[in-house]
Amino acid sequence: MQISPHTGSQLVDLCSALLLLTCFAIVAQRRLSACVDLFALQSAFLVLTAALVAFLTGNPHIYIAAGLTGLIKVIIIPRVLKKVIERLNVKRELVMNINVPAGLLICGALVMLAFFITQPIIPLGFLLTRDSLAIALAIVLIGFFTMIARQKAVTQLVGFLVMENGLFLGATAATYGMPLIVELGVFFDVLIAALIAGIYTNRLQDAFDSVDTTHLTVLKE
Amino acid sequence: MSPIIQSLLLVTAQVIVLLTVSPFLVGLIRKVKARFQCRQGASVFQPYADLAKLFRKQPVISTTTSWIFTATPYILFASTLSAGLLVPTFTTQTPLNFAGNIIALVYLLALGTFFLILAGLDAGSAFGGMGSSREAIIASLTEPAMILSIFAIALTAGSTNLSTIVHKTALLEGIATDPSPHLMALAALFIVALAETGRVPVDNPATHLELTMIHEAMVLEYSGRYLALIEWAAGLKLAVFLSLIANVFAPWGIATTLAPTTMGIGLVVYVVKIAGLAVLIGVIECMFAKLRLFRVTDLLGVAFILALLGLLFFYILRS
Amino acid sequence: MIEVLVLLIAPLLAGGLSLIVHRSALLHAINLISMSLLVAAEIMITRTVVRDGPFTALGQLVYLDALSAFILFIIGAVGLACSLYMRSYMDDQVARGVIAPTRLNLFFFLFHMFLLAMVIATVANSVGVQWVAIEATTLATTFLIAFWRRRESLEAGWKYLILCSVGISLALFGVVLTYYSSLHVLGDVSEALNVTQLLPVADRLNPHVLKLAFIFILVGYGTKVGLVPMHSWLPDAYTEAPAPVVAMLAGVLEIVAVYAILRIRIIVDHAVSPAFTGGLLALLGFASFVTAAFFILIQHNYKRLFAYSSIEHMGIAMIGFGVGGPLGAFGGLFHLLNHAFAKSMAFFAAGNIHRRFHTVDIGQVQGLAIAQPWTAMALMVAGLALSALPPFASFVSEVQIVTALAAQGVPGQWLTNSGGMVTFALSDQFSSLSLTGLFLLCSVLAFSGMLYRITGMVWGTPPDGIVQGEAWSLGHLPIIALAAALVGFGFFLPQPIRQLLEEATRIILIH
Repeated sequence: MQISPHTGSQLVDLCSALLLLTCFAIVAQRRLSACVDLFALQSAFLVLTAALVAFLTGNPHIYIAAGLTGLIKVIIIPRVLKKVIERLNVKRELVMNINVPAGLLICGALVMLAFFITQPIIPLGFLLTRDSLAIALAIVLIGFFTMIARQKAVTQLVGFLVMENGLFLGATAATYGMPLIVELGVFFDVLIAALIAGIYTNRLQDAFDSVDTTHLTVLKE
Repeated sequence: MSPIIQSLLLVTAQVIVLLTVSPFLVGLIRKVKARFQCRQGASVFQPYADLAKLFRKQPVISTTTSWIFTATPYILFASTLSAGLLVPTFTTQTPLNFAGNIIALVYLLALGTFFLILAGLDAGSAFGGMGSSREAIIASLTEPAMILSIFAIALTAGSTNLSTIVHKTALLEGIATDPSPHLMALAALFIVALAETGRVPVDNPATHLELTMIHEAMVLEYSGRYLALIEWAAGLKLAVFLSLIANVFAPWGIATTLAPTTMGIGLVVYVVKIAGLAVLIGVIECMFAKLRLFRVTDLLGVAFILALLGLLFFYILRS
Repeated sequence: MIEVLVLLIAPLLAGGLSLIVHRSALLHAINLISMSLLVAAEIMITRTVVRDGPFTALGQLVYLDALSAFILFIIGAVGLACSLYMRSYMDDQVARGVIAPTRLNLFFFLFHMFLLAMVIATVANSVGVQWVAIEATTLATTFLIAFWRRRESLEAGWKYLILCSVGISLALFGVVLTYYSSLHVLGDVSEALNVTQLLPVADRLNPHVLKLAFIFILVGYGTKVGLVPMHSWLPDAYTEAPAPVVAMLAGVLEIVAVYAILRIRIIVDHAVSPAFTGGLLALLGFASFVTAAFFILIQHNYKRLFAYSSIEHMGIAMIGFGVGGPLGAFGGLFHLLNHAFAKSMAFFAAGNIHRRFHTVDIGQVQGLAIAQPWTAMALMVAGLALSALPPFASFVSEVQIVTALAAQGVPGQWLTNSGGMVTFALSDQFSSLSLTGLFLLCSVLAFSGMLYRITGMVWGTPPDGIVQGEAWSLGHLPIIALAAALVGFGFFLPQPIRQLLEEATRIILIH
């Protein structure tokens, strides 16, 4: 099936926009299990985008990266997180420092910031996907914001994983993926980080009887 | 065929299509929900029978109401039908496209809502007042989201006239030129549609608990032909929104010329599209629970931000 | 090459064995053997590099030049010192029941993985693999920091994990941008991140993209270094972790992160004027130095005191690199070396003090000279070295940096107007003289704060109930060696180290 480069780049843009949409959904969510589900959905879209880029450019090793993403971020990590949530008996964020509409406005501002920052780079793009890099940076910034704005340890972890998703999108769409050894290393790191954070949350629960990170204020100055 | 006869025929055709399709949509959503709940459910054509029954009955009116109470069903029905005539359904040449554009559409619908709010207050009952105030909050929050999302699309097409927009998009024969703003606008408009037509997660149309009602609370006092008109107008509103979403974002199959064959295909495609959207709404109603009222504002805030972003994306991608 | 293989396989094997072996004496022996092998391999590599210049190994996977050899030297030296110190420290912890004996396996396994990751980060040719290794160090050390499992330790560990992972993710974006720019020029997919490939074509890379990439990498890896404002994990982590772990973190990990920044800087400097990177480094360096100096004055916890001192010294080193020039760069590198030695010694002393006094409060620790004479000497030497007083080597390196600062000033008048990039202007009024004055002021603040606290701890009479007298153990050997090195380097730098430093300086200053 031959797809013209123009249509192809639009398809990739569409997928990136879908990813951004799931980002907003995560910021607007209060329920922890819904956040994890949305993250799994976002990772699924990411797999789709990567497969699309692989198909359009004919680079087989992106398929491998897409497959790994699918395995790790759509199946393994959400399962781990769901188990953690079950064990924690915590269902939702009760107090939000920044309420949902304000948070969404800030995310909108972050998207604009991302486009502004990557503006000098966009005209350079001879590759298929020009503003996917901007959307990737936007997703990274939104993930970062989620980590700051939320209190529950699990949501902070989801924010970190969203950042990694944004980075993978940036790497795939802008540079057709990183060298395979680097991709493998990144996946390995993300997986271990999620597992470690899962173990950590359990320890936090045992020590503090809660995973509300506002309790972690003993160490000051 | 002279243009006047042509437009008269188009007007009549569109009116008939809209009036016929709207109870069907309501019945379809109820059927889908029933099936999800493992029930047989009433027939898809039950709302037609309900309307017929209501028209035959004698209305009972409270003595404490004013002229607003009796006038509102007619105003609501007329304004919603006029709004329907502005939206392309099976052909891109809407009958009244010379008379109004998107802004007229939004404010015709708002006119109907306004009178309904007043009518809810008119009878002096507590539930009516409660429903009216809730509806006012939701209407004031959906309006900016709706306008912004429609503007995002209008900017891409270069006109606020709906038939122009749909005509241009339909002729492009491919994925829209800028998918990102359209995607945001679609998401925003979908949430607005759910809110304006009183569907879960904003309002549960099947509830019998007055304290949870929004739309139903306003029409508690109505009976007979007035209730029939209001129910029909609610169905029409649903049809208007679904037509808007289907034809602005995915208009392929719509009749761009006035040849009878294309119009026939356009009609079939149109019915299939909005039936599909109605099924989607039915599924969404089964998946989610109704939000508490102060969470609805969060949801509408999300819609607003999405619409705003759609607009911004358009400008950013332009530059 | 055999040395490189030894470098990589020794920690891997040691880590694997640590999981299986149960006797603690054997665990320590494995640790010491692996560490000695590491040091031996590193000495061989240094000889090769000084004699023949940079070389690659393992089929372009490994790149070693004087800079990497220098960092390896620090890793080896501090690592060996730590391993010797751990010999008595860990046994003491197990004997007192603070750690269960089975957890010792986990401790050593994580320690070896940590070492392996740092070695990979130093010798990797590909910038991407370097990133993976640095992220791996974060993961390996998280549980080491929270090893005591107390509430405060968990809090410190969580903060460390989150902040460092976030920072390093930002650095990954920088790496992606570097890859993006190199793809345009090189076109080849798998080699485009290798330093050996990037250096020859560095002047053809796109300056805008590289500027952005450098900013992200600086912020990202700067989190690991502990530069202000990304430093908030540092005081907590250093307070709560066990002493040998902190010694490795402060002495080695920060320096590996600085190395990562310098590698990218060398590449970026070919395409963008060095004033850009220099200005940014100096800015962050000054921010860290000033902030840390003030915080040192108000500390009551001696481990936290040393943590802020780490931030301060990293700031000074960054100023040295930012100012640039032969004196600044040499001073910066030399300062990294001195800081590594002094800081590890400080934390060894801290560990010993904690074992005896069971408190981290400065006010409750007195009369160290009578209670633990060896530790008191270590503390005194470390404190004086960290305050950059003569005759210690850190005095020499700081004088070098200040001289460079006074002579050249900070490259502050860069204004980048390239379409859409963030414009940044350092005010014209910041002459080199006023910055030097600021530097000296903060130096005095830090030195007075540090010395006041340390003399308060060392002199006086010990509180009642504290056992007095300190038996000689293997753990005191590294303290003596480090102290001797700190004093010795102030007067005389051995020829191989001097050659290594000069070569490394030459690599940093490419113009």
